[in-house]
Amino acid sequence: MNRRDFHRFGSVVLGSLVKLAVAAPAVAFLLTPLRKSKKSGTGSDLERLANLSQLEVGVPKSFAIVRDLTDAWVKYPKEPVGSVWLVRQPDGVDPPVIAFTAECPHLGCAINLSPNGTGFFCPCHSSAFDCEGKPKNHVPPRPMDRLEVQLTDDDDPHVVVRFQRFQPLAEEKIPLV
Amino acid sequence: MCKSLANWLDDRAGLRSGLRSFEEETIPGGARWRYVSGSALASIFLIQAFTGLMMMTAYSPSSSTAWGSVFYIEHEMWMGWFIRGLHHFGAQTLMVLLLLHFLQVLWAGAYRAPRELNWWIGLGLAGLILAFGHTGYQLPWDQKGYWSTKVVTNIMGGAPVAGPYVKTVVVGGSEYGNQTVTRFYGLHVGILPVLMFLGLAAHFALRRRHGFTTPDVEVDPDAPRETYWPDQTYRNLLAVTAILGVMIALVIHHGGAPLDAPADPSSSDYPARPEWFFRFLFQMLKYFPGRLEWVGSIAIPGALFLTLASLPILDKIAPSKLVHFLARALVFTLVGGAGYLTLQSFQEDAANPKFQEARLKADQARERALFLASSPKVGVPPEGAGYLMRLDPLTRGRAVLEKNCLVCHRFGGEGDEKWSAADLKDFGTKAWVRGLLEKPDSDDYFGRTPECDGMVEWKQSSKLNAEQLDQVADFVASFAKIPEDFTVDEWLDSPGVIEHPGNELFQKECGTCHLIEGYTEGGLRDAPNLFAWGSPQWLTRMIRRPSSPVLYGYLEDDQRMPASPRDEMTDNDLKTVIRYLMNDYPRPAVAEAKEAAERP
Repeated sequence: MNRRDFHRFGSVVLGSLVKLAVAAPAVAFLLTPLRKSKKSGTGSDLERLANLSQLEVGVPKSFAIVRDLTDAWVKYPKEPVGSVWLVRQPDGVDPPVIAFTAECPHLGCAINLSPNGTGFFCPCHSSAFDCEGKPKNHVPPRPMDRLEVQLTDDDDPHVVVRFQRFQPLAEEKIPLV
Repeated sequence: MCKSLANWLDDRAGLRSGLRSFEEETIPGGARWRYVSGSALASIFLIQAFTGLMMMTAYSPSSSTAWGSVFYIEHEMWMGWFIRGLHHFGAQTLMVLLLLHFLQVLWAGAYRAPRELNWWIGLGLAGLILAFGHTGYQLPWDQKGYWSTKVVTNIMGGAPVAGPYVKTVVVGGSEYGNQTVTRFYGLHVGILPVLMFLGLAAHFALRRRHGFTTPDVEVDPDAPRETYWPDQTYRNLLAVTAILGVMIALVIHHGGAPLDAPADPSSSDYPARPEWFFRFLFQMLKYFPGRLEWVGSIAIPGALFLTLASLPILDKIAPSKLVHFLARALVFTLVGGAGYLTLQSFQEDAANPKFQEARLKADQARERALFLASSPKVGVPPEGAGYLMRLDPLTRGRAVLEKNCLVCHRFGGEGDEKWSAADLKDFGTKAWVRGLLEKPDSDDYFGRTPECDGMVEWKQSSKLNAEQLDQVADFVASFAKIPEDFTVDEWLDSPGVIEHPGNELFQKECGTCHLIEGYTEGGLRDAPNLFAWGSPQWLTRMIRRPSSPVLYGYLEDDQRMPASPRDEMTDNDLKTVIRYLMNDYPRPAVAEAKEAAERP
């Protein structure tokens, strides 16, 4: 290796070294969101939403999920993070209340009641569902996502829901952690 | 395949031939170390641009979000401390390299024809680098950035005639706030970089056109031919690697870049200092009276800048060697003088106990802010980082206590020399009550408060033994936890009240004077109602309206603690001072453990 070849070789090595020393930490920096979240606002805690007596049989009613939310560096006390549709079932049917997340399984828009009140309808891409959450057209990949519901033992039981998010577009219901 | 793709690209973009021209650029006299300063400067600038770009993906420019986002970069994001640290120390490295490059170019006389244009462009680029430093310093919107921005923009505003207008435009109004942050941000990441890259492109193009300014020495015709690539490039990169190595060592040693407490326009003792490379200017200003500030901060630096800019012209009209000598002598003097002023500034600070004290306080505030922001119980509030401290009992509550209460009261022995009221440290706790019951006429309690002689009178006649006093103290200390909406009956019905061993003693001993409707009779002497004593609701009333009939309404106005109405103490201040008194604020686990260990 002559002098010039050494300079050539050295330039390439040093140049790569300098770039690597800056680029590698930068890649880690940009990938921060992949870190397992240890903060609140995304967990799947139980939420107490309503009393059973507030619900009419067969009439869907929406409730906001309000949580302490950590948005990057800001802590919001009691911030709405999503909403849930509750449908009370006739007496004797199990479960007594069905809970759907209002997040559309198609692309995550908020599902509303359909204009004629016979089911649900997503205003973004026209996903339509019946009152049991089954798709009424081919837009959504799966039925509306049901959430776990529990009733407390009180005289007028509280409806408690485990709020969760699921991966959009998948045919299976895959919880997002 | 690879080759044909490369050829295809080269046919269209001509990249290879562009690179080849570096290989063909012969350097007369060979590659030299002294030529590395410019390319090192450019390389570090590129690192600045890159790390800056990275931080742009996480930084949020507004007076309420800037500090929080920088905190997040520095303390939460992966390698955020490293990226920000590189940017921070890179800025300082640029200043050093800028000086070296400037000296090298001046030494070589590179302002002479045909390089005049590049000399001027270079001076312009130097100005841009200084502007980068100033605008970037402010972006975290911490104490340091806030106060130094205030100083720098006020210097601008001190310039005759246009000064105030320029200042208002730069600051974005007469107040420092959101518009200041967005403007400085726009300058720092948009306007200045565009100007910088345009200037750098011209600077490089002209440098290549003229080649290096080689020294006037005989070139050995037999010496091997050396070209820019790879001979000079190798030296450049070796220098850049070494410089980056130093920067990385600094970043690791300091664990990132500093972040002071969030900007607080109301703080009265923040010791604002510029970065070390502006210390000489800072020190020089001390020699100018306020009215003539602009002479030191604008006229003199401006005149020097103009002198440097006119070197190519002076070179034509005066003897070239003489101009070169004078220019070097001037710069030598300046660098020496700046070095002297810098040293003097640091020495003055080192010998100034006031500065040390203020710095210590600022460091404590920083520690507290960083602790609060990272505490899972607190975090940066939605109102903005400024409220991090404003809502903190230890910071704000303590300050309110010092200003409003420690005029008469004391706190853990601190306070005015001529105090006249009780020591409020641990007010409401069992220990405090027990101390009072032991010796009510102690100077720590009512010894200096002649209006409160009722307790002293009681003590003289009371026959309670130590154990009974413990029980009463424990009972009274439990009053502070009575919920705000409780009535006396509800409280008496709650578990553990009637059964408390202190209950009966309290009724018999204290209840004869201290009336609690539906519980004790009172009447023997005038005394405040002790229901929920020490709780936030009791303290609120005590601070807002001590003249209330259930408190000290029976005293004359001048015998009583003065009230603090809302226009003197805001609701927030009241809340924080009460939480401070009740020791209700988050502390680092280490401090809590230490305190617990010290407690008897």
